[in-house]
Amino acid sequence: MINRRNFLGLGLGAIAVAAIPGKLSAVDFRETKPKAWTATKVDEAVKEIFGTTATVEGGINLSAPDIAENGAVIPVSFSTDLKATKIAVFQDANPESAVAVFSLNEFSVADYAIRIKMAKTGTVTVIAEAEGKLHSVSKLVKVTIGGCGG
Amino acid sequence: MAGTTKIKAKLKNGVIEVKALASHPMLSYQEAERAKKEANFITYVVAKVGDKVVYEASTSQFLSKDPYLKFSFTGANAGDVVELTWKDLKGNTDVSSEKIK
Repeated sequence: MINRRNFLGLGLGAIAVAAIPGKLSAVDFRETKPKAWTATKVDEAVKEIFGTTATVEGGINLSAPDIAENGAVIPVSFSTDLKATKIAVFQDANPESAVAVFSLNEFSVADYAIRIKMAKTGTVTVIAEAEGKLHSVSKLVKVTIGGCGG
Repeated sequence: MAGTTKIKAKLKNGVIEVKALASHPMLSYQEAERAKKEANFITYVVAKVGDKVVYEASTSQFLSKDPYLKFSFTGANAGDVVELTWKDLKGNTDVSSEKIK
């Protein structure tokens, strides 16, 4: 706690300046976009979250296994040099499409990894919004054992 | 601060890389039905350094059990504390923190 307090005290000025606009605009997309999470098609979920489905291919590195032996734990990592403000992950193997939506600010380095579940073979899609454009990348992941309890 | 999330935060070339392992069953609606339990999963994760939000994710039931999150950010120093908070469908929250090395 002492460290934290010191840090807060010392850094207060700097943080206050750096943190004013935007930083407090924490967005919980589950509250603001409830429909996105029940959408059963990737396109519908994309539309809910980004407002459009017009995407440009590429610009993002997506890394996921070609074949996942265990659909319950599929490592997915992605990175981009784009000035992304929002990145979302979708798949088309489960009943609903949306997996996660990340909000980025000027502190963020777009190099993230998560582990996801897929009930069967499907396509993982990562979409990043940068400078008003949507960039997308997809990869087919073959699942040999289902991840949703199957 | 007591929390159940394991966090590792390392500073390298000005970028802090965080690896976090939350402890949560992440029961999807389908799985919950089979297991005769109620669905529950983490819906929102936020990491902060001081007042700065450095990571923010809204998540669904399709993250794996005990979700692993790796992310990076800039603008903090060694010794600063990363505080990671999650919230699940039932309203439980967990706050864990770790010093940046």
